[in-house]
Amino acid sequence: MNIIELRGVGKQYHSKTALSGIDMSIGEGDSVTVFGPNGAGKTTLLKIISGLMQATRGKTFYNNKVYSESDIKKEVFYLGHKTALYNALTVQENMNFICRLFSLDHRGKSIENALRDHGLWERRMDPVNELSQGMKKRLALAKGFITNPEVFILDEPFTGLDLGWRSSVLSKIKNIRKRGKSVVISTHLVEEGYALADRVAFLHKGKLLFIKKKEEAEIGEIYSLFDSLGENIR
Amino acid sequence: MKFMHDAVSILRKDILLEIRGKESLSLMLFLSLLFLVIFNFALDIDKENVSLLASGILWVIFSFTGILGMGRTSMSERDEEAYLSIVFSPVSAESFYAGKVLSNLLFLLLMEAFTLVFFAVLFDFEKIIGMLPQLLPVLLLGTLGFALVGTLFSFLATASRYGEVLLPFLYLPVVVPVILGGVSSMDIILNGKPGGPGRWLQIMAVFDMLYLSISLLLFRYIIED
Repeated sequence: MNIIELRGVGKQYHSKTALSGIDMSIGEGDSVTVFGPNGAGKTTLLKIISGLMQATRGKTFYNNKVYSESDIKKEVFYLGHKTALYNALTVQENMNFICRLFSLDHRGKSIENALRDHGLWERRMDPVNELSQGMKKRLALAKGFITNPEVFILDEPFTGLDLGWRSSVLSKIKNIRKRGKSVVISTHLVEEGYALADRVAFLHKGKLLFIKKKEEAEIGEIYSLFDSLGENIR
Repeated sequence: MKFMHDAVSILRKDILLEIRGKESLSLMLFLSLLFLVIFNFALDIDKENVSLLASGILWVIFSFTGILGMGRTSMSERDEEAYLSIVFSPVSAESFYAGKVLSNLLFLLLMEAFTLVFFAVLFDFEKIIGMLPQLLPVLLLGTLGFALVGTLFSFLATASRYGEVLLPFLYLPVVVPVILGGVSSMDIILNGKPGGPGRWLQIMAVFDMLYLSISLLLFRYIIED
């Protein structure tokens, strides 16, 4: 069953068309990776899927119903370019706050388990601004784990991370997948994005060049597309 | 019930942020003290005229110091896009707004209490402390108006690069009725003018309700792109 479906979705910023004619669906437990060069419209697409931004054309459905943006926002976990953490608060305080917002028990073991899973338990009393970028990304994902949404929408989750942290974040996203959650990722890192995908999509100048099953899209095809657009991503 | 629970959760988080980061209230207290010292040197104030000038001086300090503090509480949400953790949660935009108004209201009232005490000391005007019970409705209505408008505009302004510079230009014209009401009713109370502050308090209450209704409608659109 499709959890989220976009039909003819477009987004216009004044005279600039950021997205046009996007048809796309995200099924239960599905993982879609959206590739594309900088400025292709990946962030706009993910913001529309998450309900953070309104499309200027087309319709978006959530569980086969036209959704209101406020409804969908309760069902998805969105990680944008920034980590949505309070820098002055400690790791534990950030988690406590999230638990309060979701009316979850913050005194039980759930926070401890999430932080241990993400290798942050030892750092729980540290302010977030003392963490590395990789640790912040993992803490942001730990928030997603504890709130247990249906869909994870991750916009460039590997940006700004060195190789070690990249593989660490990659394994955390694989864990999300193992839990049967739907995942939508945008990235221009082909290896990582391809490894996580059931289906791959390629966006260029606001249009979907393709969306197909991973078996139907060789990794070389994605590299070739980037090459043909003059993007050096290897 | 859930509405209040969510708003109080946001208030608690903001108090914790202030304790850890000392970015809003501490800044307001410092600026308020600075204003008081400047007024003390710049104006020829004595026991004869202090009650005539007090309300004007105090509301200038409340207005300018307040907007700076509210800008900082909004910046703490914008940093790292932290506010998205609230947006992507079951908390409604209205509860989010209410929580931020409560935080700003609390910090503003603390700043005003601090300012009144130091005003009394620096200007040798202890009488103002004794008049606090009469001044309380004025302070509450005026500060509520500031918090209602300031929360909305500071969130709007901090979305842009030059937001903190723009903020006073957006905010001050809108809160003029509340500032006028605050200055006039405080002046009436401090100087024992006839008629009492009742009419001004009514005007402030009406504007507060207006600000609340409009802000509740608009806040949702401000936190979304």
